[in-house]
Amino acid sequence: MNKHFSRANLNLQKKTLIKAILLGASVFVSSFAFVPSGQAHHPVAAKFDPSKEKSLMGVVSFVDWSNPHAHIFLNVTNSDGKVQNWAVELESPVLLKKAGWSENALKPGDHVNVTGILARNGTRQLWSEKLTLTGTGRQVFTMKDIAPRPLLNQRPTPRWPDGRVALGGTNTSIDGYWSFPSAMVLTEDGSNVQADDYGQLNSVTDAAKVAPFQDWALALFKHRQERMLQDDPMYLHCKPPGGPRQFQSNLGIKLLEDRPGDRVFVLMGGGNHNYRIIYLDGREQSGQVTGDDDNPLYFGRSVGYWEDDVLVVNTTDFNEDFWMSNGGLPHTSQLVLNERFSRPDLDTLHYEVTIEDLGAYTRNWKASWDLRWVGGEELPVHFCQDNRP
Amino acid sequence: MRRLCVTSFLIILTSIFNVAPISAQEGYPLKGSWIGEWAGNEDLGDFVLIVMDWDGENVSGTINPGTDNIVIENVTLEPSSWTVIIEGGGYTLSGRIEQLELPSRSILGTWKHGSRSGALSLSRQ
Repeated sequence: MNKHFSRANLNLQKKTLIKAILLGASVFVSSFAFVPSGQAHHPVAAKFDPSKEKSLMGVVSFVDWSNPHAHIFLNVTNSDGKVQNWAVELESPVLLKKAGWSENALKPGDHVNVTGILARNGTRQLWSEKLTLTGTGRQVFTMKDIAPRPLLNQRPTPRWPDGRVALGGTNTSIDGYWSFPSAMVLTEDGSNVQADDYGQLNSVTDAAKVAPFQDWALALFKHRQERMLQDDPMYLHCKPPGGPRQFQSNLGIKLLEDRPGDRVFVLMGGGNHNYRIIYLDGREQSGQVTGDDDNPLYFGRSVGYWEDDVLVVNTTDFNEDFWMSNGGLPHTSQLVLNERFSRPDLDTLHYEVTIEDLGAYTRNWKASWDLRWVGGEELPVHFCQDNRP
Repeated sequence: MRRLCVTSFLIILTSIFNVAPISAQEGYPLKGSWIGEWAGNEDLGDFVLIVMDWDGENVSGTINPGTDNIVIENVTLEPSSWTVIIEGGGYTLSGRIEQLELPSRSILGTWKHGSRSGALSLSRQ
C-alpha cells in the first residue's frame, strides 16, 4: 500500500471504490433485468386479436425495418386533438423483401391509412392488414404469394463425382437451400388435421388426431394451443428449433456437406442461426465430442449412414428445453429420431421421421413431407434477436 | 452512502430475482427440482425440496434429498385438472400445478402426515 496515503484518503478511496462497484454492479445486473421479457417474433394470433379490427389515419414518424418484424410508427391525432403514437407491426423484412418491398416504400412524414387488428394487451399496437398512402391511395407492404413456381419438368438428382446424391449444391452446380416445406405442422402421416403456419390448429378439438399422445402430453399440447402458442420458447427465448421443427421453418434450412470431414451440417434459416452436425464417420453418440460430457442437447447427437440413395440418421440425447414442432408437441429426454433424407429430383428433398418417445407418446409414429430447392440463393438473414417485440 | 448502498442492494436483489436462471422444462411437467414450504411441519421444518423424474410410466424421486431423505412411493398426476398427489414416508402432498406454461410453475395445496397437516407451496427451480 502507498505509505503516503493518509487514513482519510484511504477511507475516501474505499468509499469511492465501493460506490463505483455498487453502481457498476447495479448497472450490470439491471442491464439484464430490464431486458424486455416480451415476445420476439411470434404467432400473430398470440399477440393480436383477430376479432378486434381497427382503422387508423396518421403520419409516419419512424420506419423500423428490423427483424423479426418491421414496424411503422404513426402519430395519430384523436378527435380531441391529442396526438398518440401507435406501433403498426408488419411481416418480417425477409418476407417483405421477397414480396418486393424495401424500407423506402414509406418515409417519415407520409400520411397513411391503416386497417388491422388490435393487440390483445390493450397497448397501442396494430397488426397491419392493409396500409395505404392517403394522398395516392397506393397500397404498400402488401404480401404477395411467394410460393415457388410449379415445376415444369423434373430435373435429375445432382450427384457428386463418386455418384453419391448431393444434399445441397455440388462443386459444379449452383448452391442454394431448402425451403417451402409441404407441411408446416408435425402430424402423424395419415391424420387429416388443419393448422396454420405457426402450428395453431384450426380446431383444438382435433388435437388428439395429431399424434398418439399420452394423456399428460395431450393435455399439455391442448394447453399450448388454447394459449395460442404464446409460450413458444423459440419465439420467447430464441431457443433453437430442435427435432423435426428445423425442417418446418418457412425460412428454410441448408444441408452443407463436409465430405472430407464425413459430416453434414444442418444450418437454420431462422431462429438464432445455430447448426446441427450429423456425423457419418462411424463414431458413437456417447463421447461424440470431447469435453461436452454427454449433456443433453437441443439438437441431440446425430449419426448417420447412406443406404443406397437415402441418408439415414439416428439422433438421441435431446434436452427438454424446446418445442420439437410448430404448434407445441411435447417430448421428453427419451426422444429418439430416425430420419431419412432423400432427393428424388433436383428440386425435392423428401424428409421422413420416425418419432420414438414413450415418455410422451403411446407408440412410435411417423411423419413425412417435402421441401423445395431454392437455387442460387443463400439462407435468409433472419435472426431471433434482441427480444424485439 | 448508506442510502446508495441500500438502493444498490435492492436493485441488485430485484434484478437477481427477475433473471434467476430457471432451467426450462417443456416435457413432463413434474420433472425437475421443486423448492418450497410445507408450513407447520414440526418434524422436518417448514422448508422442503422435492426432486422428481419421469420414466414414461412412473414418477420417481425424493423429498428433501441429502437430509431426512424420503423416497417418493407414488405420484398421481391428473392432466385434466393438473392436480397432483405425491406420497412417501407417510406423507401425502396434494395440490394443483399453477402456471403450467412457465418454467417456474408452482404446486399449491396441502400436506398431511398422520393427524398433522398444513399448507403446501412449491416452486419449480
